[in-house]
This record gives sequence, structure tokens and C-alpha cells, in this order.
Amino acid sequence: MQLILIVLLPFLGSLCAAFLPSNARNAEAWLAGLVSIACFSLAISLFPQIAAGEVVRVIVPWLPQFGLNFYLRLDGFSWLFAQLITGMGALVVFYARYYMSPADPVPRFFSFLLAFMGAMVGMVLSGNLIQMVVFWELTSLTSFMLIAYWYHRADARRGARMASTITVAGGLCLLAGVVIIGKVAGSYDLDQVLASGDAIRAHEWYPAALILVALGALTKSAQFPFHFWLPHAMAAPTPVSAFLHSATMVKAGVFLLARLWPVLAGTDLWFAVIGGAGLCSLLIGAFAAVFQRDMKGVLAYSTISHLGLITLLLGMNSPLALVAAVFHMMNHATFKASLFMAAGVVDHETGTRDLQRLSGLARSMPITATLATVAAASMAGVPLLNGFLSKEMFFAETIFAGHSPWLRIGLPAAATLAGMFSVAYSLRFVHQVFFGPPPSPDLPRAPHEPTRWMLAPSALLVLACLLVGIMPAQTIGIFLETAARSILGVNMPTFSLAIWHGFNQPLIMSILALGGGVVFYLVLYNQRRRAHGAAPLIDRFDGRRTFDVVIVKLIRTADRIQRLLYSRHLQVQLVIIVCVAVGAGWVALHESFTFWGEVPPSRIDPAFALMWFVGAVCAIGAALQAKYHRLAALIMVGGTGLITCLTFAWFSAPDLALTQIAVEVVTLVLILLGLRWLPRRIEIDDPDRRSLRARVRRARDLVIAVIVGTGMASLAFAIMTRPRVPGLSEFFIDRSLPQGGGSNVVNVILVDFRGFDTFGEITVVGIVALTVFALLRRFRPATESIDVPRAQQHDAPRSLQELPDPNEDLPRGYLEIPAVIVRLLLPMAGLVSVFFLLRGHNSPGGGFVGGLVMATAVIAQYMVAGTMWVESRTRIHPQYWIAAGLLASAAAGMGAWLASQTFLSALAWHFTLPLIGEVHVSSVLLFDIGVYMLVIGATVLMLVAVAHQSLRSHRRPVAVAAATQVHVAEAAASPGATH
Amino acid sequence: MEVVFALAIGVLTGSGIWLVLRPRTFQVIMGLALLSYAINLFIFCMGRLTVGRPPIIRADGATDPLLYADPVPQALVLTAIVISFATTALFLVVMLASRGLTGTDHVDGKERDL
Amino acid sequence: MSPWLQHLPVMPIVVPLIAGATMLLFAESQRRVREGIALLATLMQLGVAIVLMYLTTDAVPEIWNRGIGVYAISAWPAPYGIVLVVDRLSALMVALSATLALPALFYSVARWERVGVHYLPLLQFLLMGLNGAFLTGDLFNLFVFFEVLLAASYGLVLHGSGVARVKAGLQYIVVNLVASLLFLTGIALIYGVAGTLNMADLGVRWSTIVAADRGLFDAGVAILAIAFLIKAGVWPLNFWLPPAYAAAGAPVAAMFSIMTKVGIYAVVRLSVLLGDAAAPAPLAGSWLFYGGLATLIFGIIGILASQQLARLIGFVIIVSSGTLLTAIGSGAQSLTAPALFYMISSALATGAFFMVTGMTERTRTAPVSDVADVAPMPEVSYRAFDVEDMSEQRVMNEEAGIAIPAAMAFIGLAFVFCVLLVTGLPPLSGFIGKFALVDSIVSAIHAGELAERNWALVVALLASGMAGLIALSRIGVRLFWTVTERTTPRLRVIEAGPVAFLLVLTMVLTASAAPMMAYLQSAAQTLHNPQVYIDAVLAEPMQSSGQSSVQPEVLP
Repeated sequence: MQLILIVLLPFLGSLCAAFLPSNARNAEAWLAGLVSIACFSLAISLFPQIAAGEVVRVIVPWLPQFGLNFYLRLDGFSWLFAQLITGMGALVVFYARYYMSPADPVPRFFSFLLAFMGAMVGMVLSGNLIQMVVFWELTSLTSFMLIAYWYHRADARRGARMASTITVAGGLCLLAGVVIIGKVAGSYDLDQVLASGDAIRAHEWYPAALILVALGALTKSAQFPFHFWLPHAMAAPTPVSAFLHSATMVKAGVFLLARLWPVLAGTDLWFAVIGGAGLCSLLIGAFAAVFQRDMKGVLAYSTISHLGLITLLLGMNSPLALVAAVFHMMNHATFKASLFMAAGVVDHETGTRDLQRLSGLARSMPITATLATVAAASMAGVPLLNGFLSKEMFFAETIFAGHSPWLRIGLPAAATLAGMFSVAYSLRFVHQVFFGPPPSPDLPRAPHEPTRWMLAPSALLVLACLLVGIMPAQTIGIFLETAARSILGVNMPTFSLAIWHGFNQPLIMSILALGGGVVFYLVLYNQRRRAHGAAPLIDRFDGRRTFDVVIVKLIRTADRIQRLLYSRHLQVQLVIIVCVAVGAGWVALHESFTFWGEVPPSRIDPAFALMWFVGAVCAIGAALQAKYHRLAALIMVGGTGLITCLTFAWFSAPDLALTQIAVEVVTLVLILLGLRWLPRRIEIDDPDRRSLRARVRRARDLVIAVIVGTGMASLAFAIMTRPRVPGLSEFFIDRSLPQGGGSNVVNVILVDFRGFDTFGEITVVGIVALTVFALLRRFRPATESIDVPRAQQHDAPRSLQELPDPNEDLPRGYLEIPAVIVRLLLPMAGLVSVFFLLRGHNSPGGGFVGGLVMATAVIAQYMVAGTMWVESRTRIHPQYWIAAGLLASAAAGMGAWLASQTFLSALAWHFTLPLIGEVHVSSVLLFDIGVYMLVIGATVLMLVAVAHQSLRSHRRPVAVAAATQVHVAEAAASPGATH
Repeated sequence: MEVVFALAIGVLTGSGIWLVLRPRTFQVIMGLALLSYAINLFIFCMGRLTVGRPPIIRADGATDPLLYADPVPQALVLTAIVISFATTALFLVVMLASRGLTGTDHVDGKERDL
Repeated sequence: MSPWLQHLPVMPIVVPLIAGATMLLFAESQRRVREGIALLATLMQLGVAIVLMYLTTDAVPEIWNRGIGVYAISAWPAPYGIVLVVDRLSALMVALSATLALPALFYSVARWERVGVHYLPLLQFLLMGLNGAFLTGDLFNLFVFFEVLLAASYGLVLHGSGVARVKAGLQYIVVNLVASLLFLTGIALIYGVAGTLNMADLGVRWSTIVAADRGLFDAGVAILAIAFLIKAGVWPLNFWLPPAYAAAGAPVAAMFSIMTKVGIYAVVRLSVLLGDAAAPAPLAGSWLFYGGLATLIFGIIGILASQQLARLIGFVIIVSSGTLLTAIGSGAQSLTAPALFYMISSALATGAFFMVTGMTERTRTAPVSDVADVAPMPEVSYRAFDVEDMSEQRVMNEEAGIAIPAAMAFIGLAFVFCVLLVTGLPPLSGFIGKFALVDSIVSAIHAGELAERNWALVVALLASGMAGLIALSRIGVRLFWTVTERTTPRLRVIEAGPVAFLLVLTMVLTASAAPMMAYLQSAAQTLHNPQVYIDAVLAEPMQSSGQSSVQPEVLP
């Protein structure tokens, strides 16, 4: 229970914090402080059990199918870290209360700080590897928010992005790594993973797992070669740096390495990867730290080097080294956090962190100076401070770690060198800031001691350094013991936390390091403090620049590749699609394709052949003419359609013939109406036609066209020379009359057997009509086609004299005779259409054809009499027709429910009415009526919507309204006019 | 017969594809029209070719499937015709709108930069 | 069983149709009525879908046994009539589309509905098409419903008009028309050879096709599959997708985030029924695998390269299609359930993301530049069509919504959530999906069920997450943190609500991952055991007189 609270409280706290008013600094601080102290004491309360060697567990199944459970597991090591995180958290909150300026929107700060704390605690308490990764990534994300807290600053944004990018990438690698480990170990459960260390080290996937996990850990702990993000993360507010970049987040990596130490460590690969990275970071960090200008820069690089020290210890494959590593994790956290706080104080009180400008602050701020000095001494490894102890252990380990002679010499030497550097930068940090000549007057603020409370946290930490440094065994011993034991278990070494181990090699090394460091610093100092923020030698390896370059290159390359893989040109897309389809067909066919079926082709009827000769000529002609002679092309396509329709009739498909012809007419009218809005194009004024590229493109398309054509032809032929496959048709022919109640099988299929298709099909028509209308409301004709069509311009004056007046019966002039005919046509057409509708069930026809006939008649009225004339007489509501049609057919479908039949089942009622007599009503008829209405509505809506465009196009600014209106009608009256 | 029929489909498809691959919207719409003819014929011939035997049950009510053409492809073609009619209409309007808004009748909405 | 339960499977198709048609009876001016109808219809669909999901879990075996419900339209049994088939997968998809539709509807009520006419009916028709496509068990009927949803989607893409939309819409339409022609060709060939249109019947017959005709049949299936893959957004057939999705209005795009899934759904159905191994080329495992992988990589590149948010999300959708297809193509059935989980999560996430984008990029929601100089229609046609001219400014002006003080905070947070979801970073459902996928891939490789090549999928999965993070953090920082902060957009509850709704859903999905995964696993089980499906569909009364199982033979 306590465990869940420890993890949960911070998140709840962060939620509350987010909703506090933005100026509630104290409330926020109290909230955050209380939460962290609560977690701290909760953890303390659990210590007795931990000390007894127990492991406290809470398991809640989350996704058990994939071995992912919410599993909190508290043992000595995680307990120590939980303490570190929550305790340090409390101090940082306390410090931040005074550090953050009243202007800052603190809710965001504290809310994210608490969220981070929760994520961190969750990470260290995770007993399930996947859950650990979850919290791991959460720490990366929250740290992004914290680093970028002052997001108006470019460096903050960039630093945050760099940090998160690298750490998240590491996290993804970690995910892959732990999945592999989990698979090998058979579970993500930490206990089982720790148990199956040998199996994992023996497995062929071990190297991969090790590398991936290492990538995760090294990125997080800012280890070489990923160390460069840490210095740039210093753009964060100092409390954040103190918390994340000294005590907690950067420790996550080494925590993980220690956690998985029993599983992964013990091989040469481990030593090479982990130890190598650690050594590099140790030296590079320490060396670079010496030359920083920014106080926080110094601390950042020293953090890198100290974490390198820890990593190196972990990489040494020796239990004692592990103990030392754990010990140093704690020590580093204490002195580094307090140093960050000191740096923050200086920054806060003087307004700068520049070592060049600062000096002699000890006079004005003695307490800060004292605290900083002690902490720095601990960092340098001065005796009687905790830093000294772990450093001694480290030196001792380096001596025994090496196997090869090189390492025997090299490792201790490197360690000592690093020690010298650390002494140097610690010295510089203190000396340049607090001692030397009095502070220059040009500091942004006059330096003075901050409020006591701001120093308290740092003071506490320094106190800890002293206590641990002077009497380690009594203070830290027991905790370190339990922590190390929980990792090492049975092979736990015996170690003594004494200050004085006698005059041995490690002590000599320490003395060397101290002495050398002082000398090194003095040398530098006497060269006129020529530390200019850029370390020699390693200066040119700028990680940040590399990172930026990589990112930019990545995006550039992606862009370049995309240009190759992507085209926004429709033609290219279509070519690809067609080719892919052909290819797919070919792949499927080429193995077994027998062109000739069993059935011999029937005798060729010359008439039919001739007919299709014409058809082919039309098709090809259309293909050639469509660009420059649209009308011609349109007519030829119409011709092809006509021949198609004849073909249907020829091969005993009267319904198809009928529908095809009706559709032909309507489509033709539609396109004619549309033609006038297309730009003129004359063969001569087309430059690119002759260009080579155009020729090539045409050749390519020709080839494709020929291939596809032959392909389809041969497929069709192959099918036609095969026998008819028995299946559906027998059934339909059998039942059409007895059960379908109609002798026209096709129509029965449409309205009954497969009525659902028709149901969907009419919906499509309806939708399209609505879309057309919706789109044309926003229609904007191109400027040059606004004028009266060229075909009419020559007789424009005449037409202007004889304007059809909406109120007279007949339009005068050359449209008079057609008008009469068309008007007579209307009732006829109505009759015909109803006739088709009714007879459809037994002989060719049906609602669809009927509807089209009616619609054609209506649009004919528009064409001759003109829009104004028609609409001044009738009020057509196409969309009501559409709605009614859909509803009618739906009703026909649902009617079946009343008879507890399934949707669209055919029902028939017989009853006798007075006068009329025997009446036979069928739900099928209702359905067909629905189709009929919808088709009328949709078609008229589309045609009229297109026709109306000519009305709006003529609104010339100068024209008088009345004149325009009438002129408009005239224009609409001849939509067929094109160039 | 089958040969002619197949050739007809081939020619229609070929010229349709050629037009669809052209840069002008009008060419594309013509191409789509031709292609839909071709496909309709293609679906139709899946029921094999039969002359003079419309799938309308005779007066004598004989239901031997060999007396009638396969009605299923015809039904499918009917649906296909209707749908292609609708989509052609839609494409026409979009083509007009695009011509109006972009000022060109190129399928990309802008003249291809040579 | 109760008659209404009996008719449940057809409801997801009938309800939106009736709703759409009824809305047409009310003029645009009666917005509230239309909205009411739309809301009611959408809620009903959601309810129906949930009940369907419940029924498919065999909770009430006396209604449907073995978790498959078959509904014979117009009482004609399969393979003659058209049947609707509800199994766990189709029920899930229907539920998913309804779940996306609800927030999309609310979101559009704020502004979108009014930048053009007939928006709400079109949305309902789109749903009708989606549901039909998911439920139908008949190949040609599938085509019809594809057309329904495509026609509606044309309308929705063009909704609000404007240069960008019309340009993108034109290409979108042409590509899909060509795809439909391919679809028809495929169906025709299949009918010509196999003599049936019913999918289950096909599953029975395809194995009995004589060798001489097998090539033709395979060609038909192959061409059909290409049509599906175009809709699924497979490289190199997916160039239409990013521009179309970027141009479409926010709620429309949100709704579209499920449309690519329809194509994938169809591919899966067909390939499973035809037996993955023996299935013709594009449906066979390795083709899907490499096609999907190519798509995935293309998507990653696109994500890195794209500068505009909406476009980027388009590529995110491509990535998810690629992931799904690769997972399906890898051939390990254990991957299906995680893939489905991932699909649900990504569909919800992209939906929410498009809406968030709509909030951040105000320019996309107000195509002033395009509508400025449109000559309004003359009075006469308004009378004719009962549409009062909605003056553009009334459309554009933002009626003062409740300006939440922390509007930007909300949008920013929502943005972060969406980023986490689409990149698959912890702790949201996106991570669960990706983890489950990676886990099952690795364990399949470990168990020797999968070839080593599948490591590529693992790498690509993680890489896609990384690419998404890099690109999105770049755009996000530019969008929210650049000092040249544009005026904080007014946040309206009616717009924020839907986003919050979707995000909360993903959280619920995260928390209750186990039961969801259990459902999906049984769904995958049913899916990969096509015999159950076939039996359920073909085991109808009147079957005896039918001849669904005859061998093709030469007629005398």
C-alpha cells in the first residue's frame, strides 16, 4: 500500500499543482514539499523490512497476455534511490520556492517537477522491465518540459529538444533491449530476469541485448559519446539542474546498469562497452570541465566525469567496484546538488554565472562561500569528506581491475589524471568565484547574502557530506550494505568504510591527484586566467553541432528521398497504378494461363463486326480529338456508347440497352452543359506539344494503353471461350417467377434477390447529386469564360431584342417550335416513364429507366424555355425527391420487419377496393417507386445545378439588374453552345 | 463473335487508358467514359455471349438455364452503369470547379512546368 | 429471440440512411433539427455496434452461436442473396467508426457544418458506406458500399470548396474512380471463373477451380487486391492520401482516419478466406509484408520531410497502414491481435490529432480567400432549392465561445498527448500497441515461427516512433513556443470536448488493455479460422436446394 502511495502521491500532487492559481508560490511549494516529505517518510517506514532482507512487492495485472504487469518492487537498492529522489526533491522544492521569481508561472514548474519525481520513483521501484521503460520515457518527457520551462529562450528550447531526442531514442533502444532480455529470460518480471542471468549471457542474443540496454543507459547518464546534451540542458532553471542533472535523472542510467548488473555484467563485452564508455566520459568530462566559463557548465562537465567514474566502476565486473559505484552515486548526488544550489544562489544574487566576471564574492556572501568550498572539496576528493572515500575505493579498484599489463598501468594512471583534473576544476570553481580581487562593480546586481532559507537546503547537504565523510560506517554503512546486498545477493563482498586504510597505493594516487591538480590549476591561472570556455584538443569535437547537423541532414535526406518516392502529379500516379495492376495480373497469370478455353468461338456476324469497326474508329477518334476538338470527341464517345448499347441489345440484354441509352442522353446533356466553362484550346498555340518530353510521355502512354488493351481483350476472350460456370443464375431463373413474382429475371434480381445492391446504388446517385449541388454553390467561373459564349456573340444583339419573358406562354423566336414540342413532350414522357416503372418487373424497364426518362423531359423544358421561365411556373424541390426516394425504398425494406421478415424481403398484399376492384400491391413496387423518385430528383438536381451556372456567370457589374436577369435566361437557354 | 467482342473491349480499354493518362481534365473524363463502357462490356461477357435468349421467363414458364442468358452479369452491369453515371457527373462538376478556381484545366490544377 | 435483435445487423446501414434522408427534408436553416437527427443517429449506431460486439462474444449463444451472426437480406440465403456477416472483427470496426463519428459530429457543429451545405447528411452516408463495407459478406455488395462511402467522402473532401480542396479532391476522385474500375474488373473475373459473388462461397470454391482457370481467377483476385491496396494507402499507390487528408476539413480528416482501414479490412478478409498461403500474388504473405514495409518506410520519410502538420498526420496514417499490412503479411497469427489493438489506438489518435490541428491552424478552418469573390447564386435557384444564401461572413465569424483561460494550455496538452499516441511513446495506448507488436514479433522469432527478416519490422516500428518525435517536436515547438506567438485561439467547449473525449478513450484503452486484448485475440482466432465463417454463412435454410458446392464442369 505504501508503495503505491509513494508512486501515486507525486502524480496526484502534480495534478493539483496544475490547477492552482499562477501566483500561488507558497501554496505550490507547500504542496510539493509535503508530497515529497510524505513519500520520503513512507519509504523510511518500510526500511525495517528492507533491512531484514525482504523485498516489498505490489503486483497489479495490466496486460498479462504480454507479461506486462504493474509491479512495484522495493529492495535495498531501490529503497536507497527512492530516498535519494524524494529527499532531494524536498530540498529542491524548498530551494525553488525562493529561487523562482514571482513573475514565473510556478504551477507549470511544480506540476512538472512532481510528475518527474513520480516518474523517477516509479522507475526505480519498477519490478517489471517494460513498466520500467514506461517510467523511463516519462522521465525523459517531463524533463523536456522542465528544461524548456523558460521556453521563450531559444537555448532552452534547443537544449530541451536535444536532451529529449537523445534520451527518448535511448529509451526506445532500451525497450528493444528489455524485450529481448524478457524473451530470453521468459518473463519481464525482474525477479525472474535476475534469476536467469547465466541463460541470458549464454544466449546468442546477449550482445544485441547488451548493446541496446547500454545505449539506453549511456544516453540517459550523458556518457560518452552521448554526453553533449547535458551541458546544453543547463538552460533549465537551477533547481531543475540540481534535481535532474545531479541527483536523479542522470543517475537513472547508472541505476539501470547496476540493476541489471547481475544479468549482463561479467563478460569482456560488458567491460569493453560499459568500462570503455565510463573511462572516456571520466577523462573528457573532467578535462572539459576545467575550461568552462559558466559555473553550471563546470558542474555539468564534472557531472559527466563523475558519472563516467561510476560507469567505469560498474564496468569493472567486480562486486567491490559495484559497492563503490553505489556509494559514489549517493556522494555525488549530495555534493553536486549543493554545488548547483550554490551556483544558483550566485546567479540569483549577482545576475551572472560567468567565471570571468565573478570574483571575491566571499566578502559579500561568506556563508555561500563556505558551503560551496566544502562541497567543492568533497567533489575534489579531499579527505574527511564523502567524495574522498568513494574516490579512494575507485582508485583501489582501478589497480586490481586490469587483466592485461596495459590496463594494469593505464587504468590507475587515467584515474589519477582524472583526479587531477577534478581537483583543478573544483579549485577553479571556488577560487575564481569567491576569492581573489573584490568583485567588479559592473555586475548586474550588487552581490549580497541571500535569505537564510535559500541556503538551508545546500547547508543540509554539506552537513551530510561532512557526516558521511567523517564517520561513514555509522551514517551510510547500513544503507549501503543493504543496497549492495540486494543487488549482489550471495556474492556480497566484505568492505570497510574506514577513513584510514593505511599508507597504500590508493592514498598515494589521491595525494598525486591533489598535488597535481593544484599545480595544474596554478599553471592555468598564471597564464592570465586564459580559460575561455573552450577546452583545447577536444574543443573541435562539438557534440551539439554534430547533433544539429545530423538532424538537419536527416530531414534534408528525407526530403530528397521523398522527391524520388513521391509525385504530386496525377498522371504519374495513374501510370504507376495502371502498371502495378497490370503487373499484379501478370504475376498471377504467367504461371498458368491457357488462352483458349474448350468452347470454340461462335461464327462472326459481319454486321456486328462492321458495327464494332465503327465503334473502334469512334473510340480512337475520341482519344485523338479530346484535347482540341472537345465537341467532336464527345460526339464520338456518344457514338461508342450507342454501339455498346446496341451490343447489349444484340446479346439478349434488353434492360441494359434501355438503361444505357437513357444514361447516354443524360450524360451527354450534362457534359454539353459543362463544355462552355472549359478554356479554349487551339492546336497552334500549344508550345509544349512538340517538346521531346511530351513526345516521350505520349510514347510511354501509348505503350501502356496498348498493353492494357490487349490484356483486357485476351482476358475477356479467355473467359468467353470457357463454359458457363453453374452457380447463381440457375437459382435465380428457377425462382424468379414463382418466388420473385416477376418474369424479368434481371429486374427481379435488382429489386429482390440483390435488392440491397440497388439500395446502395441509388444512395450513391443521391449523394453525388447533393455533392454536385453543394460544390456548385461555390462555383466560380474562370474570368475569360464569363462572357457570352463565342458561338452566340455574333447574334448577341438579336437575342437581346427577343428576350423570352417569363410571363408569356411561349418563348418567341427560333425556339418557338421546339418549345411547343418539348412542352407537349412533358406529359408524354411522364406517361412513358410511369409505364416503364410499372412494367419493369415483367419486361424490360424499371424504376431507374423511368426516372431517367422523366428527368430528361424536365431538363428539356429548361433547355428550350429557359431557367427563369420554368422556375417561374414550377417549384421543383429535387432534394425532397431524393429524400423521398431514399425513404420510400428504406420503408419498402423495413416493411418486411412487420411480417418479421428480414430487410428488403418482398411482401405482397391483395385486397379489393370499391370501384377499382382487385388490387395487388407489393413492397417491391414501393421500392422501385423509391428508385424512380430518387433518380428524378438526383438527375434534375445535377442538371439544373450545372445549368444554373450560366445564370451567375453573366452578372456584369455594369449591367442593369433587369437586363441582366433576362439576358441570363437567354444564356441558360442555350447551354449546348460551345466553341 | 467472341473475337470481335474481345477486340472491342481491347480497343475501348486502350483508348480509355490513353485518355486517362492525358493531362487535360476533359480528356480524363472522356477516358473514364470509354473505360466504363469497356468494363461494362467486360462484366457482361462474363455471362458468355448468348443471342436471342433474354433472361425473361417465357410464357411457358420454362426454367432451363440454357434457354436464357446469364442474368447475373446483366444485373451487375446495370448497377455499374448507374454508379459510373453518377461518378462521371461528379467528376464533371469537380473538373469545372477546379477549372474555375485554379484557372486551368490541367489535372494537377497547375500547368506542368516543363 | 426478440425480433429487434434479429434485425440488429442491418441497423448500422439503415439508421444512417434514414437519418441522412430525413435531414434532407429540413432546410439548412433548421440546423438544430438536423443536428439533433444526426446526433441521435450516431448514438444509435454506437449503441447498436456495442450490442453487436457483445453478441459476438457468445454471451448469448442462443442468438448467434460461435460468435458469428448472419443476416440474409431479403430472405435469400447465401450464396444467392446478399448476407451481412457480423463477427468480432466487423463488429469492432463498426463500433470504431461510430466512435470516431460522434466526436467528429460534435466538432463540426461548431463551425464546419456551415461552410457548405449538406454536411451532416453526407457524414451519415459516409457512415452507412463504412458500416456496409464492414458488414457485407458479398463481393459485389462490398463494391457498392465502397462506392457509397467514396461518394460521401468526395463530398466531404470538397466540403467548403476552395482551391486546395478542389485540387486535392480532383486527384482523389480520379484515383478512386480508376480503383473502382479495377475493383469491377476483379469481381468480373472472379465471377466469370468461380461463378459466385459470396465471399464464403468463394472460400469454398476457389480450391476447386480447375488448373486451366486458376490463372484467370488469381488475376481477378490480384486486380481486386490492388484496388483494396490503393484504398489502404500502400506505397506506391498512396500519393493521393496526404494532400487529400491535409486539404479536408479537420473533422472530415478525423473521420477519414478510418477509411484506409477499410481497404486493409477487405484485404485481410479476402486473404484469410482464400487461405493466406495459397492466396494469389498481392494477397500472399510476403507480398503484403514487403509492400507494407515499403509503405512504412515511405511513411517515415514523409513524416520527417513534411513541414505542415496536417500533411504530417497523413503520413502517420500511411505509417499505420504500413505497420498493419506488414504485421498481417508476416504470417504469424499471433501478430493479428496486437496489430488490431495498434489500429484502434492509431485511428483514435489520428482522429484526435486532426481535430487538434484544426484548432491550431485556424487558417484551415476559414477558407476566406476562396469564398471571397464567389458570385452568389441568383435568387431564383435558391427558391428552387430551398437554400437561403448563407452570407460568408456569417459562416466565418466565430460566435463568441466560452474562452477558457487556459485555451492554449489545453491545446498544447492535447497536442502532446497526440504526439505520444502516434509515436507510440509511453504511457498511452499507442505504446501498448507497439509494445505488444514488438513483443509478439520477437517471441515469434525466438520461437522460430518467424523469419529473421521480421527484425526489420521491429526496427521500422521503433524508427517510426523516433521520426515522429523528431518531426513533431520540431513542429510543436514552432507552433506553441516560438516567441512570435499568434493570438491565443478561442477555445470552444464544443470543439475541445470531442478531442478530450477521444483522448480519454485512449486512456481507457490503456488502462483496460487486458480485456480489450482478450477480445481482439478471440477476434483474431475467429478470423484465422475461416471455416467457422464459411459454415456460419452457408449453413442457412434452403441451402439443400442450392448448389453452392458444385464443381465447375462443362455444360452439355
